[in-house]
Amino acid sequence: MSKEELSKVSENLTLETDESRRDFLDKFTKGIFGGLVAGGVVSALAPVQAKANKDGSNLNFSTAFEPFVLPPEHPGEDAILRMMRDLQRALKKPIEQRHWNMVIDLRKCVGCDACSVSCAAENKLPPGVIYRPVIQQEIGSYPNVGHVTLPRPCMQCDEPPCVPVCPAEATWKRPDGIVIVDYDQCIGCRYCLNACPYDARTFDFGVEYIDGAADAPKVFLGKDKAGKYETEASFEYAKEWKREDDKSPIGNARKCHFCIPRIEKGMLPECVVTCIGRATYFGDGSDPDSLVAELIALPNAFRLKEEVGTHPSVYYIK
Amino acid sequence: MKNEVIQNKPMDRRSFLKTSALLGGSAACANAALNVSSNGFGRGKIDYPLNDAENVIYSVCLQCHTACPIKVKIEDGVAVKIDGNPYSIQNLNSPIPTSTDVQVGAKIDAGICPKGQAGIQTIYDPYRVVKVLKRAGKRGENKWKVIDFDKAVSEVVEGGKLFADVPGEENRVVEGMRQVRALSDAKVAKAMAGDAMNVGKGKMKLADFKAKYKNYLSLLIDPDQPDLGPKNNQFLMLAGRMEHGRKEFAKRWHKGSYGSNNFMEHTTVCEQSHHIAYKQITSQYLGKGKWKPAAEHLKPDFRNSRFVIFFGTGFVEANFGPPIMANLVTNAVNNEGCKVAVVDPRFSKSAAKAWQWVPVRPGGDAALIYAMIRWMFENDKINVEFLKNANKAAAKKGDEVSWTSATHLIKYDKEGPAKKLRASDLGIGSDDQFVVTQGGNPVAVDTNDKLNPVVGDLFFSGELNGIKVKSELLMVKEYAMSKSMQEWAKEAGLSVKEILKLVREYTKYGRKAGAEMYRGPVQHTNGYFNGMAVIYLNMLIGNIDYNGGLIAGGGHYHEDGSKGGPFNLKKDAFDGKTKSFGHKITREGSYYEHSSYFQKNGYPAKRPWFPHTGNVYQEAIPSMDDAYPYGVKILMTIMGTPLLSNPAAQMSMSTILDFKKTPLYIANDVAIGETSMFADYIFPDFAIWERWGTPHVPPSAVTKMSKFRQPTIEPLTDEVTVFGEKQHIGFETMLLAMAEKMGLPGYGDNGFGKGIPFKRTEDWYLKLAANIAAGDHKGDDLPEADAKEMEIFKKARRHLTPATFDLAKWEKACTDANGKSWFKKTVYLLNRGARGEDYTNYTKNVEKSDKILHKFGKLFNFYCESVANTRHSYTGKKFSGISQYNHAIDYAGKEVVGSSAYPLKLITYKPITGGQARTQAVDYWLQAIMPENTIDINSQTALEMGFKDGDMAKLVSSDNPDGNWDLGPSGKKPMKGRVRVLEGLRPGVVNVSWSFGHWAYCARDIMVDGKVIKGEKARESGLCPNAAMKVDTGLKNSTLEDLVGGSAVFYDSFVGLVKA
Repeated sequence: MSKEELSKVSENLTLETDESRRDFLDKFTKGIFGGLVAGGVVSALAPVQAKANKDGSNLNFSTAFEPFVLPPEHPGEDAILRMMRDLQRALKKPIEQRHWNMVIDLRKCVGCDACSVSCAAENKLPPGVIYRPVIQQEIGSYPNVGHVTLPRPCMQCDEPPCVPVCPAEATWKRPDGIVIVDYDQCIGCRYCLNACPYDARTFDFGVEYIDGAADAPKVFLGKDKAGKYETEASFEYAKEWKREDDKSPIGNARKCHFCIPRIEKGMLPECVVTCIGRATYFGDGSDPDSLVAELIALPNAFRLKEEVGTHPSVYYIK
Repeated sequence: MKNEVIQNKPMDRRSFLKTSALLGGSAACANAALNVSSNGFGRGKIDYPLNDAENVIYSVCLQCHTACPIKVKIEDGVAVKIDGNPYSIQNLNSPIPTSTDVQVGAKIDAGICPKGQAGIQTIYDPYRVVKVLKRAGKRGENKWKVIDFDKAVSEVVEGGKLFADVPGEENRVVEGMRQVRALSDAKVAKAMAGDAMNVGKGKMKLADFKAKYKNYLSLLIDPDQPDLGPKNNQFLMLAGRMEHGRKEFAKRWHKGSYGSNNFMEHTTVCEQSHHIAYKQITSQYLGKGKWKPAAEHLKPDFRNSRFVIFFGTGFVEANFGPPIMANLVTNAVNNEGCKVAVVDPRFSKSAAKAWQWVPVRPGGDAALIYAMIRWMFENDKINVEFLKNANKAAAKKGDEVSWTSATHLIKYDKEGPAKKLRASDLGIGSDDQFVVTQGGNPVAVDTNDKLNPVVGDLFFSGELNGIKVKSELLMVKEYAMSKSMQEWAKEAGLSVKEILKLVREYTKYGRKAGAEMYRGPVQHTNGYFNGMAVIYLNMLIGNIDYNGGLIAGGGHYHEDGSKGGPFNLKKDAFDGKTKSFGHKITREGSYYEHSSYFQKNGYPAKRPWFPHTGNVYQEAIPSMDDAYPYGVKILMTIMGTPLLSNPAAQMSMSTILDFKKTPLYIANDVAIGETSMFADYIFPDFAIWERWGTPHVPPSAVTKMSKFRQPTIEPLTDEVTVFGEKQHIGFETMLLAMAEKMGLPGYGDNGFGKGIPFKRTEDWYLKLAANIAAGDHKGDDLPEADAKEMEIFKKARRHLTPATFDLAKWEKACTDANGKSWFKKTVYLLNRGARGEDYTNYTKNVEKSDKILHKFGKLFNFYCESVANTRHSYTGKKFSGISQYNHAIDYAGKEVVGSSAYPLKLITYKPITGGQARTQAVDYWLQAIMPENTIDINSQTALEMGFKDGDMAKLVSSDNPDGNWDLGPSGKKPMKGRVRVLEGLRPGVVNVSWSFGHWAYCARDIMVDGKVIKGEKARESGLCPNAAMKVDTGLKNSTLEDLVGGSAVFYDSFVGLVKA
């Protein structure tokens, strides 16, 4: 990979936009936040679950839930524990009867980027691949200033524009609402990157963070030992993926999947648990007793780019 | 039985996969990929191993001082993921009970900030130092050779012509540690210590001292100034980030075994004056004129506050610290109807969540607060019922918990306010009783009296027995009234309207409000007094110990064994333990008037003395430069970088480059850092996640909790043998090896007493763990780990070799002098990384009481008698007893002012991704988020100065008109960066973040064993603004300082910006 390509990759990771403050405000208030580059046009909507039932096999990459006993409930409990209870309830239902939703309370998001880093670590994301950037912008003028933060995971659209454009049928929507990528099928054409109106997909060019460092194992730690955390297996889609020899997920389109292997074990997505402002919520929106169902019903809940008809599963509160 | 599980690794899933991959082919084989069966084979077994306690080891982060409990998840012996510990109140608002099954705990992840997450990349920095490096060129030239650990230890201990192969140093003889440790006889030290200090105090004649100790005078630094102590003091151990556990380990070695009095940490470059303000205000009267600080840090109870003012800090970045505070405050603001105000020249991410942003002039905090206080007095918004209580009994009677000195009377003499009036002064009581008036009539009061309530007049001024006296609260009120609202507002750089909005809100919620501070208000020359003013705001509304008010927190289980644990390490009286003595190089903890320098020279002192503070980091190297009070022969730094972190640090480069002033410099570091690159030897340290520690919890933790740091992976540093034991190199291992070489007392087979060895790092730390597991009283101990838990404990450590984890040795380290093993209880702690009180104690208490669960219940002083009777070591004048607002001045009293070339006030901040020096350079994930820092100015300032967003500029100042760091043989590093034009910054202020502007950390090429190793340019991005900061015109080689609290001054410098 050339220097130029590398620098492009790192530009992608720099989560600032060049938009003026005013533009940002306009877009933000209209609920059509643009993202990093021009989004793709939504042409035809997808037969979203076409792939799932092809041969009746476990193409949802779904695993069985082994319940465990959470500590007793009490008043004043951290929302993480409440959401884990919600999760256990949902996992007892068949996959078709769950609908995973995420709710991000922008009033509580402190713009710390812990979710971005936690996600990168959990999924062993290389430079240039990011599932959950946090877009930040100053608004207003002195002394009446504001600072807007907007975490942007994959919206897990109910009508995902990324699905029908895939020539390899490598991406589809699970019955519980998560849009997934089959790395083994993906041919790396990147049509889906362009199709997504939220720029939620990035491409894995196969670079590593330590590529630019010298290798001096006789003096320092050296790259072999230093690089291990990058090449250990990730567990996306409940499978072990090792970044080596240009094998998948290198050369694939990549995106947020709500931490499928975690949620199916009764654990919350990484962005939810690591959030220090407790601004991100997750659960089964089809369960009226869940915290996310309560939050989605708030009058100040909204979704990004409602007008493009994607029906995101991610809600925001402001 | 011990190592079977660990070493006898069965074929794991991965090995199986390697085999099955051969059958299935590569990922390109689509047919194989589609061939998915319900058991998951064909795609690889579908699983998620990071939810299993066998793949988790709990530890404690230290990417910042908040030291959050973490769980480190391990794959194939590699630390791959860090999450927050659910057993900890620092990570989960309501921690899970300590009794929760460890397999359940493994599945509950809790919050942790991005720095904490990125710890992985600090561990696995490709440039991490894992072998001992010895200087092979000039100091600071960054030429090294790898040297054997044992040889390096020998060299620094024995000294000699250590650098004979370096041109220019062929004949330089370096004194080794053994030679510098002149006084090795504990009995002699014990005998001399008191008398030596008495010579300084003028209580013993020098001639008498010399006659009495004539055989030992050569052991002293200066026989004519015995109060400087023995030559041992010329070994200075200077720690940057060093917290409990390791601190006591180091002090035991350095003070108790080596016999040097010069161990200090970095606290004054952080926020020491904030601690000193709390310590003085919470000092309790012990009798005989003595005061003892009771707390160094309190915080508002964010869970129940309705209004919190953050002075120069916030809840999202820095402070102490984000994971616990961000969760609490965002919840309070959005779910509990709390409002916050942020007083800060910078519109921080906390300010973004605030009801009011108050862009105060840097340093104007006390002026703002005195305007608020004035309004509170004028509008009867002070809590009279709380303030009138003069002692503990009165507080109790009034259904209060803590009380203040508001009513106590202060004596005035010719110089002004002096001591507190004693009942004996009026003949109405003892020397240890204070006096209040009741309707103008004096009444004696014992402030600690639990039985006889005394209330007093809040405002009294007059003469009693011919002595002019005033009540403390009246002194505060008169000071508040000494300027009009407009005058105070002008000093604060704010409008009266803004101040009224703030104070009206602050006084609207009774005791459910609080004022919080950290670094911003106190890193000024007036820092200590600014800090006091913030605490006054709390005292005046009487919020102490109330739900939603100011609280001390739940505290911790005492790891030092002082509360009944099996290993009392506080009274660790090993054979040969030395009494270290003598004024410290920084003069901290010493009154100038108690020194032979004072007896000889009087005022002014060459450099300041700091009787009320400690860890005065920025004074260490400049004092070496001046050899005041004496010179240093060996400097050791640990996890610290004074040449970067100190304001005006560039003034210290010449001292480090000068062999006369710094004959031997040993650094302990994980990297070739900004300061350690100037060292003679760099000993690799453990990374945080490879080592041990017992840091304490912040006051915002409302229930009692202890956390415990332990190795999570095999340390990546070389393995060596010390005391016959295989172990990895790290700070502790290095000290053990030096102890072995020198034969220091307190180590070896009987280091902790007969049959109790101190030969390995964990011999110390596991005793701390056992003490925590044992608790603070009988019945407070944890359960023993059962067989299942013991199995998990062992399996979770299957990747560790006996150099790090040896079950039998760990158990032995937890066995007390009576032969009782505390190991299984300790394992119960280690399996959770924390233990805590039942959180529902707190929630239940809130339902039934308006007072906080864990009460402080002590005296708060408006007038701090000790400080009020301490003299400035330059002017000889007394400091103020009450908080004051002062302009920035230097040591000699000269006011700091700007000029047309240098018109901007410089401030700094820590983004959440950055520590002061460490994190941003090596953690690629954090680099990705913030690749460089910027020079921030307001759009109005930009317009005035002709800058636009994105311009490159250089920071310049009267002390550094070229705007460069001068790195000696490594050239220069310009303070150059990109201008960011913002609205969220006070005009006239320039703001630069920490964590950038590295010149070391392998940002540049280095040479080792004659070969060039390329650096990584991205690490050099941005700038560190410290070299633009004001040099004290009185001291000439160092920063401005707060002379009471000792803080280094970061926010009183004027700078200019030039295009670059």
